[in-house]
Amino acid sequence: MKYKHIFLSICTIILALFLLSTSFAEIKEIRILHINDFHGFAEPYKPFGSNEYLGGVAFLASKINSLRNEKPTLLIAAGDMIYGNNWTNLFYGESVVELMNIMKFDAMVVGNHEFDFGQEILKKRISGASFPVLGANIEGIESLKPYIIKNISGINVGIIGVITEDTPESTHPRNVTGLGFKPATETISRYLNEIRAKVDIVIVLSHLGYYSDRKIVKQINGIDLIVGGHSHTKVTNPVKINNTLIVQAWEYAKALGVVDITFEDGKIINSIGYLEEIKPISGQENKEVQDIVEKYKRRVDEILDRTIGIALTDLDGENVRKDETNLGNFIADIIKETSGADVALLNAGTIRTGIKKGEIKVKHVYSVLPFDNYIVAIKLTGRQIREALEHGISAVEKNEGRFPQISGMSFKYNPEANFGEKVTFINISGNPIDMDKEYSVATNDFLVAGGDGYKVFGKVLKSSKDLSITGGAIKSEKLIYNEPGKWLRDIVVEYIMKKGEIQPMKEGRIISTK
Amino acid sequence: MIVYVNNKAVEIIHGMKVRHALISAEILKEGISIKSITDEWGNEVGMDGELSEGDKIFVNIEVQ
Repeated sequence: MKYKHIFLSICTIILALFLLSTSFAEIKEIRILHINDFHGFAEPYKPFGSNEYLGGVAFLASKINSLRNEKPTLLIAAGDMIYGNNWTNLFYGESVVELMNIMKFDAMVVGNHEFDFGQEILKKRISGASFPVLGANIEGIESLKPYIIKNISGINVGIIGVITEDTPESTHPRNVTGLGFKPATETISRYLNEIRAKVDIVIVLSHLGYYSDRKIVKQINGIDLIVGGHSHTKVTNPVKINNTLIVQAWEYAKALGVVDITFEDGKIINSIGYLEEIKPISGQENKEVQDIVEKYKRRVDEILDRTIGIALTDLDGENVRKDETNLGNFIADIIKETSGADVALLNAGTIRTGIKKGEIKVKHVYSVLPFDNYIVAIKLTGRQIREALEHGISAVEKNEGRFPQISGMSFKYNPEANFGEKVTFINISGNPIDMDKEYSVATNDFLVAGGDGYKVFGKVLKSSKDLSITGGAIKSEKLIYNEPGKWLRDIVVEYIMKKGEIQPMKEGRIISTK
Repeated sequence: MIVYVNNKAVEIIHGMKVRHALISAEILKEGISIKSITDEWGNEVGMDGELSEGDKIFVNIEVQ
């Protein structure tokens, strides 16, 4: 009987201690809000294949503020914020930084497109930001921080920012001169070791792409959350791999990522991530942010309406699909000159309209070249150039977009001959083409990808070796120029501004012998 | 670099995006309507999503 009493007493004490300890366990919740790959899409738009408008940064801001009110929150961005559409490009990203300041971002990591305006502009944007900009695996820009530690309601949050090592290969080399891009995995491991003991949660803010994010968590333990960007992935149901939650919030402010994290005595006991789609419902926009959107929109209109030069003759965009035109020559010449290639070849489908004699405004050039194309140059043999020209003129009677506009060369063709025998003569820089010699050929990204049926560029890339270049990035040995961070239309605008007056001529570069 | 569109290998260069891979795979052209583009785990990806060596994307199309 006595022992029974002792046993019951001990059980009661244990139960009391347990209840006491649980009643004193400290539960805290924080919220991480995130976006990525904004690219200056300030206004709502209809995504490809959709009938519904999505996005709009003023609507995004309202959603952020309402979610912020519910619990202690951090707002972070996973890169590629300042380069993309006219709303940001015409101001070299300044408009986006102004928005992010007003919206009280806590941090962002630089994406590869943050380098597209060059290092000096990037440094200005970093100094204009009221939040830290991260880039742990970049050497050479002092104002980039490898990580930050923020205390939010007693929780120490460590955020390490990393960018794709391929950056040197996805922007113009001048934009990354003197910089080093270290492997992301090694960099994360290094800073993780440095901060893990000082923080309650480690977040990697990654501009590596979802595929790489998943690879990283299989190689490194100790990351609690990866907030990603680069691949524009809509992660609606985030997965946890090796105790790391991986999230990403699509693109262009069409979604806001939300991660709610619960701590008990400083340890994470739960984390869930989800996306809030941003729908532009009238009346729900944030007024302060909308004012900034409108302010820059007015300035975009002013810039588009700006006169940049004079056309001393009509620039023919009507006949580009069936004949050489002075506008086709003009644009092909700019592509050749910019890339330093031997010749240039452009599909007529890139050119959508002409420009009348007289004042040339920015908006005229943008109407001629409305697509987001950029210049690429690849080494082709004379035989491969001939193959490209054969393809280009193979449907001339149908007025198809494949018809070539060229620079640095001329050719004759017989439209009635059989395919493969239509091109009868090619001259490059005053000499007949050498079928075995390699020439550098400038074109646009669309044709290199195989657009308008041009297969030759892809075939060349497939058969060429890869070379290692600055920062460990890889490029094809046949690729000699690649500038994804500058649209062709903007290069044409700059060229006209430099020249003032232009009077391109039809010069007999393409002659039908029919 | 090589990426895969509906398990077909296509060659693109660094800096190119999902839309370039679709052009290369002869999917992004007149007469083909794209219903969805997803990665290998079923997540939707944007047309301007950037690709890395070995990435796999799957496109659900409708021929018109």
